[in-house]
Amino acid sequence: MTAPLPIDQTFDTATVARVTAELDATWRERPGFWGWLTSVDHKAIGRRYIVTAFLMFIAGGLEAAIMRTQLAVPENHLLGPDRYNQLFTTHGTTMMFLFAVPMMTAMGIYFVPLMIGARNVAFPRLNAFGYWTYLVGVVFLYVSLFANTGPDTGWFAYVPLSGPAFSPGHRVDVWAQLVTFTEISALCVAVNIIVTTFKLRAPGMSLNRMPIFVWAQLVVAFMVVFAMPAVAAGSTLMLATDRAVNMHWFNPAEGGDALLWQHIFWFFGHPEVYIIFLPAMGMVTPIIETFCRRRVIGYTALVMANVATAFFAFGLWVHHMFATPIPELGQSLFTAASMVIAVPTGVQIFCWIATIWTGRARLTVPMLFILGFFFTFVNGGITGVMLASVAFDKQVHDTFFVVAHLHYVLIGGGLMPLFGAFYYWFPKVSGRLLSERLGKWHFWLFLIGVNVTFFPMHALGLDGMPRRVYTYLAPTGWGTLNFLATLGAYTIALGVLVFIVNALRSWRAGELAGDNPWDSSGLEWATSSPAPPYNFAFPIIIDSVHPLWETNVEHPVVTGLRTDRREILVTTTTDAVPESRHAAPDPSIWPLYLAGCMALLFIGSIFSPYFVLIAIGLSVFGLLGWGLQSTKKIEPELVQLPTGAMVEGA
Amino acid sequence: MRPVRPAADASMLPTVTYGPRSLMWWATLGFSTIEGWTTALLVASYLYLRQNYASWPPLRTPNPSLLVPTINIVLMALSIVPAELASRAGKRLDKRGVQFWLLVTSAVCVAILVLRWWELWALRTRWDTNAYGSAAWTIVGFHASLLLFDVIDTIGLTIFFWFRRLPLKSYSDVSDNTFYWYFTIGVWLPIYLIVYVGPHLF
Repeated sequence: MTAPLPIDQTFDTATVARVTAELDATWRERPGFWGWLTSVDHKAIGRRYIVTAFLMFIAGGLEAAIMRTQLAVPENHLLGPDRYNQLFTTHGTTMMFLFAVPMMTAMGIYFVPLMIGARNVAFPRLNAFGYWTYLVGVVFLYVSLFANTGPDTGWFAYVPLSGPAFSPGHRVDVWAQLVTFTEISALCVAVNIIVTTFKLRAPGMSLNRMPIFVWAQLVVAFMVVFAMPAVAAGSTLMLATDRAVNMHWFNPAEGGDALLWQHIFWFFGHPEVYIIFLPAMGMVTPIIETFCRRRVIGYTALVMANVATAFFAFGLWVHHMFATPIPELGQSLFTAASMVIAVPTGVQIFCWIATIWTGRARLTVPMLFILGFFFTFVNGGITGVMLASVAFDKQVHDTFFVVAHLHYVLIGGGLMPLFGAFYYWFPKVSGRLLSERLGKWHFWLFLIGVNVTFFPMHALGLDGMPRRVYTYLAPTGWGTLNFLATLGAYTIALGVLVFIVNALRSWRAGELAGDNPWDSSGLEWATSSPAPPYNFAFPIIIDSVHPLWETNVEHPVVTGLRTDRREILVTTTTDAVPESRHAAPDPSIWPLYLAGCMALLFIGSIFSPYFVLIAIGLSVFGLLGWGLQSTKKIEPELVQLPTGAMVEGA
Repeated sequence: MRPVRPAADASMLPTVTYGPRSLMWWATLGFSTIEGWTTALLVASYLYLRQNYASWPPLRTPNPSLLVPTINIVLMALSIVPAELASRAGKRLDKRGVQFWLLVTSAVCVAILVLRWWELWALRTRWDTNAYGSAAWTIVGFHASLLLFDVIDTIGLTIFFWFRRLPLKSYSDVSDNTFYWYFTIGVWLPIYLIVYVGPHLF
């Protein structure tokens, strides 16, 4: 064990160097390919999630570009209806399940531990397992698409179209099992984020001192816990079993119910939008604070708005079903709920506007994206309130108006802050700054492209152009606006290409950032950029939401954690008082092994139930291996029994 | 990076804790919530489908048999005793107690899992007969997967305690295992009442 360090006198450089060297040795990842496979560092896992999800964004974007090319002129024959069906389904599925949600939660995996001063997430191996499971889903979908087995019934796979009677073959099975992989992955992240924020916060970081981004991630993690089981149950336990073993959940001839699927799906699907949107809202606050040089106005209001949005988000799923025979009272209730949810969002927007108004705004690229977010998202929000009205909704149901609305909301509310966050936190991940000049090109191409693409769709929708048609006739007069939208889509693609060039160039040769290039206030900037494997050599004690703006020259820290094993500090749930030390696990291959078993279980179940038995058998070895790894080190421990008594021994 | 000043010492904090102080307890709570909520959604779907039928179970489908499910729920209630005693032994760091009561718990868990097979057939319908059968089989089958996971966990822990020298934190794992077992049998009670007893009453 490390020799005790003196209390209340500033450490000399030699002491810090000694502790750092010991931590480096203990927390170092294994080298080479094996090290890559076995890594449990939240930053490594978070980076993989972010890169994979961004690749999915490019894939989904290319699918969109192909579809826009098809629709650019009437009666185009670039794509046939079958390929078009697979493309729009894969586009929606990719963007929602494989890009947006994993990307937003990955930002939490990477940044939450850094922002709360922790050394890793609470369950590092579960975190790695979540990533590998997600990767299985990614590979499965795209291998299937290239094998002409891409799902083709829309990203919400409505029955009876997606049922065994109307969709024979395995295309819908691919969708159903892919969803399962992403849900398992999201649930692993959610449990990790909840326990990490509740139990691993820096000493002194009581709940009312938690960064807004962390609050947003915590609220979203709870939403995932209650939303994702719905679609997992619907897709794996209902749709897949209807298709594989002749169940009748959705078969009206045997008492099943097609509307049940819509309820189950949208009970997940509507909160899903906020699962994407709330983390993005969490990114807005630190960016505005940093570039307006002041604390955000209405910290408590912002937190309450987050929580309120999460509650309301579970009470409006039926507004996706206004065209089904829902009782009138139900329609009124869900209309009212759909309008009410605009209130907490409005509260957030006004808090930010007030902060910008009373601060000294610097128009850096992250800040430009935040302004782009206001402009684009508010447009989408307004059409959302319009769609909450049943009468209006029925007029434009299943038309391009809805396509315009959802893209304004998701791009405005999700992507704009996300790109801002990329520019803001890129130095934290890479140690280098992204180019501001290329960033501005990216911003303007993207903003103009989004509006040129999606604004005309409002008019197309009002004019009656339906969604999900692979072509249209010239006399409809929709050609000009469609051509304009396609030009816009190419502009978006160009903007994203500029970003990719910027990121690749800056990763290698960007301007060196230093530890805190923006002079930000958050704890993530209190360590080096990029952070070492253990994040912080000593847990920092804080007494404010903005520790780096309020502390003077030194950080008060906690000493006494062992440096010869991966030890982390556990604190109390509300006040973050140090409570115990916890030995975090070493690198492990078992997460990858168990994700492989999951792949066999769910993909195999499409073809034969015997694969389920084989996969369960193989999983038992994985679980035992996982358990054995946790128990192989016998070391002296200090046990606090439930009676409060302390026992020391091995 | 700024200079650091030591202001508190953590070296005397415990490294093994129990209940809400332990991270594993929180993980157990998290996954119990997810699994419990999934069960609740399945039960809600079962009740939603019921609206499509004039009678429940549907015509020509017999009521579920109550014999095996009732035997099993009594066994589940009895299983609380060894599970609780294993947990208490874990909280005393009593190795022999843990070994013995984990063994008893494992035996009872396996018996419950075996009975689950007949419990499925006690539904007296098949999963592919009608939507009622699909819903009932799915709910009972999903719960069987929770049972299976719990049995693997309990037997694994039992083997470790009998055949390996374990770190002290494993004693805390025993009480978390008991906590998960309570969840598994707790969530079964409404299923038993709704899926097996309900059709007899309403």
